[in-house]
Amino acid sequence: MQKLGEFKLPHFFNYPPYFTLQPVRDTREKQVQLWKDLILDYCRTQKVFVIGLEEEFPLFSNPVIGRSLTHEAREAFLSALVADGRAEWMDKGHRKCLILWHRIQEWAEILVQFARDNGLEDGVVTMEEIRFGTESQGTELQGIDRTILNRALKILEQKGKLVVFKGTSTDDEGVKFSL
Amino acid sequence: MGNQFVKKPKVTDVDRAILALKTQRRKLSQYQRKLDAVIEAEKQAARDLIREKKKDRALLALKKKKAQEELLKKVDSWLINVEQQLADIELASKQKDVFDSLKAGSNALKAIQNELNIEDVQKLMDDTAEAKAYQDEINAILGDKLSAEDEEEVLAEFENLETQLIEDDLPEVPTAASIYTDEKLDLPVVPTTAADVEVAANSTKKGTYPFLLFS
Repeated sequence: MQKLGEFKLPHFFNYPPYFTLQPVRDTREKQVQLWKDLILDYCRTQKVFVIGLEEEFPLFSNPVIGRSLTHEAREAFLSALVADGRAEWMDKGHRKCLILWHRIQEWAEILVQFARDNGLEDGVVTMEEIRFGTESQGTELQGIDRTILNRALKILEQKGKLVVFKGTSTDDEGVKFSL
Repeated sequence: MGNQFVKKPKVTDVDRAILALKTQRRKLSQYQRKLDAVIEAEKQAARDLIREKKKDRALLALKKKKAQEELLKKVDSWLINVEQQLADIELASKQKDVFDSLKAGSNALKAIQNELNIEDVQKLMDDTAEAKAYQDEINAILGDKLSAEDEEEVLAEFENLETQLIEDDLPEVPTAASIYTDEKLDLPVVPTTAADVEVAANSTKKGTYPFLLFS
């Protein structure tokens, strides 16, 4: 089984036909499903949050069999993820895609759990602490993308579970929980 | 989800202070990492310079490294101060919470006690005692009346009842004749000679005589 670093690639990754966008509808559906799962899996384990369509994304080409996904194919697979609610286009030109292997709501719940686990029910933390602090080492929150974190925080803010604030201008952005 | 009445948590000055301290902690950590890198680089530079036999330059690099190491020690102690103050703020805020809840409890107690006036309680107890005394008096009067009129009647009835009960309780006394005619006493034969005794012993073995009398 081929590997990308520590990530085990599925068998279909080595078959050239899978890199060509299939015309037949049934085959196309199966192909799209396989690629959707692969992309989500890879992003989850490698903590990839954003995919740039024009960039060198390891999944988009397999040098062993000398095949690459065309731009059309990439857009097709990512659009399928967007339709599933598992990704979002970050710009109108569909050049960057935000991958949501956890939906924003799920991230919000993870944040709430994080606060509870660390006794932060009415505590103050900085955004940087949530992303890189000692409490988040080894959790899903480690290294979370800023955009996603902001969106999750906004959802929780609307529910009154926390408030985002800043003290002086030199401070990091802070979060005060109120669970 | 357009609930305008969702309670938003308030951000206090204490929160802002904590945020400032945590920001500082992060920045100091970052600075520590930077100093570590510089120290390592200077060490490496000094090694290279010694290899190139550039003694003066090597010494300079080592001096710079020393200066950075001193600075790192200071930063370490600042970081400890910041952590300490964060811990102190947390402790103080918890102490205030405890004090506030104790105060609230004490106030509640006072309010309840205010409603319960000691004079009212005393008056209540006095009224109750008065009522009881009145009742006792009435009982006494009524009680006297009864015994004066009915005591003799009650006493007579009591004596009647007593004698009746005594008569019922006495056992039957048998008449003289009945003692001798009612039962037929069956006494066993008493053996007198030795032979008789043997006969008696033998028959006893068969179980006819319940007991044996030896003379």
